[in-house]
Amino acid sequence: MSKNIAVIGGGPGGYAAAFLAADLGMQVTLIDERENPGGVCLYVGCIPSKALLHVAALVNEAEHAKAWGIDYGQPKIDLDRLRGFKENVVKKLTGGLDQLAKQRKVTYLRGRAEFVNSNTLKVALVAGGQQTLSFDNVVIGTGSRPASIPAFQINSPRILDSTGGLALQNIPKSLLVVGGGYIGLELGTVYASLGTKVSVVEMLPGLLPGADRDLVNPLAKRLEKIFASIMLNTTVAGLKEEADGIRVQFKPKDGEPSEQVFEKVLVSIGRRPNSEVPGLEKTRVTKTPKGFIEVDAQRRTKDPVIYAIGDVAGEPMLAHKASHEGRLAIEHIAGHKVAWEPKAIPAVVFTDPEIAWCGLTEADAQAQARDIKVARYPWAASGKAMAIDRTDGVTKIIFDPQSERVLGVGIAGPNAGDMISEAVLAIEMGANATDLALTIHPHPTLSETLMGAAEVLHGTATDIFRPLRASTAAK
Amino acid sequence: MSIEVKLPELGENISSGDLLKVLVKVGEKINKDQAVLELETDKAAIEVPSPSGGVVRQIHVKEGQKVKVGQVIISLDENGAKPQEAPPARTPEPVAAGIGQGARPPVEQPLGKGIEARTATASGPAPSNGQQAKPAATPASGTRTTEIKLPELGENVTGGDLLKVLVKPGETISKDQSLLEIETDKAAIEVPSPISGTVKQVHVQPGQKVKVGQLIFTVEESGAAVSAQATGSAAVTTTMPTAPPPTQAAAPAPPVRTTPAATPLPSVPPASAEAPFVPSTTGRSLADVPASPSVRRLAREIGVDITEVHGSGPSGRVTMDDVKAHSRRRHMEQRTAPAAGLFAPAPLPDFTRWGTVEAKPMTGIRRKTAEHMQQAWTIPHVTNNDKADITDLEQLRKQFSASVEKAGGKLTMTAIALKIVASALKKFPQFAASIDLAKEQVIYKQYFHIGVAVDTERGLLVPVIRDVDKKNIVEISVELSQFAAKARDRKLKPEDMEGGVFTITNLGGIGGTSFTPIINSPEVAILGMMRANWEPVYTVGKFEPRLMLPLSLSYDHRIIDGADAARFLRWLCEAFEQPFLLSLQG
Repeated sequence: MSKNIAVIGGGPGGYAAAFLAADLGMQVTLIDERENPGGVCLYVGCIPSKALLHVAALVNEAEHAKAWGIDYGQPKIDLDRLRGFKENVVKKLTGGLDQLAKQRKVTYLRGRAEFVNSNTLKVALVAGGQQTLSFDNVVIGTGSRPASIPAFQINSPRILDSTGGLALQNIPKSLLVVGGGYIGLELGTVYASLGTKVSVVEMLPGLLPGADRDLVNPLAKRLEKIFASIMLNTTVAGLKEEADGIRVQFKPKDGEPSEQVFEKVLVSIGRRPNSEVPGLEKTRVTKTPKGFIEVDAQRRTKDPVIYAIGDVAGEPMLAHKASHEGRLAIEHIAGHKVAWEPKAIPAVVFTDPEIAWCGLTEADAQAQARDIKVARYPWAASGKAMAIDRTDGVTKIIFDPQSERVLGVGIAGPNAGDMISEAVLAIEMGANATDLALTIHPHPTLSETLMGAAEVLHGTATDIFRPLRASTAAK
Repeated sequence: MSIEVKLPELGENISSGDLLKVLVKVGEKINKDQAVLELETDKAAIEVPSPSGGVVRQIHVKEGQKVKVGQVIISLDENGAKPQEAPPARTPEPVAAGIGQGARPPVEQPLGKGIEARTATASGPAPSNGQQAKPAATPASGTRTTEIKLPELGENVTGGDLLKVLVKPGETISKDQSLLEIETDKAAIEVPSPISGTVKQVHVQPGQKVKVGQLIFTVEESGAAVSAQATGSAAVTTTMPTAPPPTQAAAPAPPVRTTPAATPLPSVPPASAEAPFVPSTTGRSLADVPASPSVRRLAREIGVDITEVHGSGPSGRVTMDDVKAHSRRRHMEQRTAPAAGLFAPAPLPDFTRWGTVEAKPMTGIRRKTAEHMQQAWTIPHVTNNDKADITDLEQLRKQFSASVEKAGGKLTMTAIALKIVASALKKFPQFAASIDLAKEQVIYKQYFHIGVAVDTERGLLVPVIRDVDKKNIVEISVELSQFAAKARDRKLKPEDMEGGVFTITNLGGIGGTSFTPIINSPEVAILGMMRANWEPVYTVGKFEPRLMLPLSLSYDHRIIDGADAARFLRWLCEAFEQPFLLSLQG
């Protein structure tokens, strides 16, 4: 007897859950307001931003090429075609998901779901009308939305959130990015490469709070060159629309308030879970003080037939975490004994340089007063980094001091996001320094820096002379 | 000089005990042989004496804790000298805390594969404290004999069947050479020698069951080997004959730091003294277990708590096989566990639903009794009841009780019963037998040690009176009184309770008319005595008041037939009725 399940939300968590459920023989209804599955990630998040960041990287690389004797001249930007490229990527991917849903006989309902009770949903269809359906289990994967604060809600087309930023309406002359997190820095990088004068304001003392400083530093140095200004320890006291832009009042922590006018302002101060699912109060689902739906290790809510996954079920709000949770919830519904127990969830900031990390950070270790050993491999010692003229990167590994097990890895540099996967695997497999050091890495690649960092721990890295005793690397 | 006193061997198969009382205090000056701990083992309460005099510097154990043989219990400053050295390397505490079987003894460097060797004839000063990683006893020259015991073979493996002895007396062996081939529950294992030398004596035979800690070889080491070992191998445990608790030079433990986030266990080879079996109750969290996602998933699927699994891989990595082995072992334990059997005990309901409850841990004696009884219950029991007319015997008993009292004993019906039973066992030898189903043998014992169940406040104890057949009733009475007192005062030693061929249990002091005693396996029969009552007995045309003693004989029906049991019991009754029968036939 096959189960009949509903998945609310067609993002990477929702469609991964729906597809696996179908693969396991369940009857699946996937409910989302968008035309096709994909959610924020595919429509207005990860994917379109990466398409634009690829373009930005190309522009930056072309600029960089002048140093090597290649001058392409100033780029001419056809914004409509650029937007078209991005939208085509989105269309192809979401269309592909639609195909995959159809092949799996997943019922895709375009509409908005409301709980009638724990296992009955009323779906208000986008096409009009409504359907009331009953299910054995419901998976909530409603995701998150950009956070806002009332002071910024001045209802002006000049105020953008990440969705507005990705829409690429025009290339503004000046743009203020409020919030120095990954979304703001990624979009800021895109606009800067298109010729916008980008400023960033962050109320904390550093960019990318949560990442280790030694990883952020190479990025901060580069951003200082391509951004007009980076204001740290500064809050936005007020926004006012004027004829030629938004007048922004800054209030530095130590210093005099100032004002400046920007053509556009991108607000990227975080994301809030979409846990206000209509009718949720008719179920036993509970929420945390921060508004996330409370779940157990199987991603089950306090209501035994309802599961929650992805951004709505807690931090970190990352697509790959959502997909895994979605699959886990389905496996549990299918009766498998499973639990949410990853040892490392990678985080990647797709700026230039990229920053990626997973597992334990140095900051975590410090907060936990945990003994660690850290081995750093500066990319100045990497032949490949030298060859691509990007020696500003660093690869570091955080080890358990006794077992030399890899506990965490951080990488800053081009392709860090692709390289971090090896580190996640190492952590999941319980690899130690010797395992990494003895794993033959292809030469010349940036991935060698991981092997090199493991060798640094023992003071035996081929390309670094730093005997253990004099070493500061293995602190 | 400071000494680490370790818990000495307490007796065969005793690996640990519950610490009842610490009898000394830090700073106290104690003498050699002064009792420092009171320990309750499975078999008895034991006072542990100090191997030397000195001032107690540190007490490493707490009352209520389980203490294992070899575990450091106290540190002593000999002759009251001030401690000159830093405190010994301590066991990593987060690891030690709350382990099911008690605290973890210091990690000892495995000897080859963890063989413990004891020198029998070494001379020289007593080994010093645990800071020095070399055996202190290094004879200047010549040879010394070392006793090699069966090392730990792995987690929860207590012994195995000896398949093959690979060396002969007189043979010269080198370190790590295989000495024995043993089949354990898990696998066939070759046991390597921890040292080089000449085999002097082989103490075991193929086909025999050997246990961890059992003496297997005596090896004579040559002078060169001795000194090489003394300097080279920190691992050899050298015990001085003069200092029974091994004040051994423990190799430095791996530097495990006690970080709050419970660092993973140091990797310890499975064959070392203590497998790092750490249940989740130690706070070892899932995140600290180095196991790959597929291994973690397998563990979850088959119901294994991965935090309990010992990782055999580098850095303690848990492999698929480790999880399977853990599961297999657990199932095997469940199968062989006395509590299991055909029907595993049903899970207990939540009693708090009906009222307040208090859960108390079982004492060692209670646990052992429970295990033993459960096992004994698998014997096909039959109980025969009969009554002995002891009217005349009771008169004799009263008549002679004063003289026995003078000798220091108490002439009880139990004492008399012991003598009668000893005689009966000679006449009916299958009642003093044991059954070996594996070898399809019945073992008849030609000694007549008889156990007597003694009710103490800590539970049931069964001291064994030796050679009852060779003692008269006065001697038996004296010995029985002494044993009863020892049992009550917790002075019984394990060996006082071993070697019985038959057991008597007397509930006469409390009452009752019949019961079904459970056989004290591996014995095959047990006699229960109840309170004697005056009953009307019909003899030659009339009822006469006779003092009748109810007797209940439980026996193992596998080797004793009902008719034999009836004959045995009748013979006992007749002997009670007519004590002259003892002189005549007994």
